[in-house]
Amino acid sequence: MYNLIEGSKNHSNIGGTNTDSWFLHLIQIHDSAFPTGSFAHSFGIETYIQEDILRDENDLTKFLDMYIRYNLASADAIFVKKAYYLAQQQDKASLIHIENICHGIKLSPETRKASAMMGRQFLHTVRSLNDNELIKLWYEKLKNKEIKGHYSIVYGIYAAIIGADVKMALEMFLYSSVTALVQNAVRAVPLGQMSGVKAVFTLLPVIQETARQVMTLNLDDLDNNSIALEIASMKHEFLHSRLFIS
Amino acid sequence: MSWQQIPIKRLQHDGCLYLKFAKRENKTILAQCYQAPPLRASRALYLNSADPSEATVYMVETSGGLVAGDQNNFEIDIEEGANVCLIPQSATKIYPAFNGEWSTQCINISIGSKASLAWKTEALIPFRKAKYRGETVVHMARDASFLWGEILSPGREKRGEIFEYSNVKSNFQVWMEGECLIYDSLLFSPDHMDLGQSGMLEEHLYIGSIWFVTPALQNMNIRKLNEGLQQFCDMKVCASILDGKVANVRWLASDLVLLKKEMNNTWNKFISYKD
Repeated sequence: MYNLIEGSKNHSNIGGTNTDSWFLHLIQIHDSAFPTGSFAHSFGIETYIQEDILRDENDLTKFLDMYIRYNLASADAIFVKKAYYLAQQQDKASLIHIENICHGIKLSPETRKASAMMGRQFLHTVRSLNDNELIKLWYEKLKNKEIKGHYSIVYGIYAAIIGADVKMALEMFLYSSVTALVQNAVRAVPLGQMSGVKAVFTLLPVIQETARQVMTLNLDDLDNNSIALEIASMKHEFLHSRLFIS
Repeated sequence: MSWQQIPIKRLQHDGCLYLKFAKRENKTILAQCYQAPPLRASRALYLNSADPSEATVYMVETSGGLVAGDQNNFEIDIEEGANVCLIPQSATKIYPAFNGEWSTQCINISIGSKASLAWKTEALIPFRKAKYRGETVVHMARDASFLWGEILSPGREKRGEIFEYSNVKSNFQVWMEGECLIYDSLLFSPDHMDLGQSGMLEEHLYIGSIWFVTPALQNMNIRKLNEGLQQFCDMKVCASILDGKVANVRWLASDLVLLKKEMNNTWNKFISYKD
């Protein structure tokens, strides 16, 4: 990000700094203080923790590597990208169609609910920050129960509205999904804070590589490969004690 | 050009089976049937003693399996009030794609008001180097019922062909009056993904799925169903209810015989809810 502009006499070394107005806001909507409720969801990972399969930093890193490549990349990240472009084109009918598919592809009840809960909280918050017509319309449709409010769709729409770069919005989406799960695992396993930091650091190249790959994918590439995680998420509902909603 | 150099153009099999069911008085009849080889259908049989009006039809793939480049199309239209049970005569075998072409199967199903369809469980067996694309799209009325079972096999396990296929993608969608209830899209490409990873298939070989959509789901005790399911330590399984409309049971297993037995038990439990 801090690239010296070639041939420039400016020695301040900040030539390539991103000063776009959306940049800080993009960081803000991924901050842990931004209310989406991600701290309350494990998306099935708590089942693995309780079954003593996910025990240490190495297990967590390997698991999240799989989660990024074969879960986020083949579903939610594609929805983010698609919603972004459809919002740019103001194609409301197609947005509703993909939101419908986004609902149907989540085949564990808790994961389905979690995605909608996070989306609704996100929508409530950004509605008070931005009076864009599409956000207003999405909120109306949610109120009228015409949509469920899934997070990846609302997020993709909002990223387009604020004019964020689509690839950066994708990277940030993947990054914040991973950090939320790491923070939750640090509490639930439990792991040391340093283990969490190292896990995220190890996964940064995977996030970047996955965002690049998702830029080449479309709705035909929607897939569900993480069947064992899906079953774990279904089982979560029946665990005796739970730290997380999903 | 010698005869050895002449490219062999194999005739592709584009099989087609169109079945239309209707209710006449107190009986479901096979009102229309169009079949193009290698797909064939039996006549309507009345085998269900619990529901004598239900029409049962066996579907036969006379070529024994899909060769690369083959496409099978099924169109099933079930009119208002008709009750149907469709039984594939055998597992769907996908032969190796030596010419690089895909084998494809498309199933389109329409289920009218107060109608029902039960599509009996069979396995999909992709052979070594097989390339397969399958799409099943179901459109159903709000008060209709639908029961579907399927097994994705790793290949011909007894011959040691385990996850040696090239690429298998199956897309299964259920829409209820414009609402997407299920969008289950499975993609496995063993050369490009480690299926044994935690969270994916892990140590298991078979994926079993049963989907049940019916208005009678409100009465189902899903916790009790789960207690009955989770008996085998080498099998992962869970049942859940989505939005009060769909019962979803998913298995990961390594023993096909045991999996089929468990799926059959669950099938019978669901059939009793439908009745």
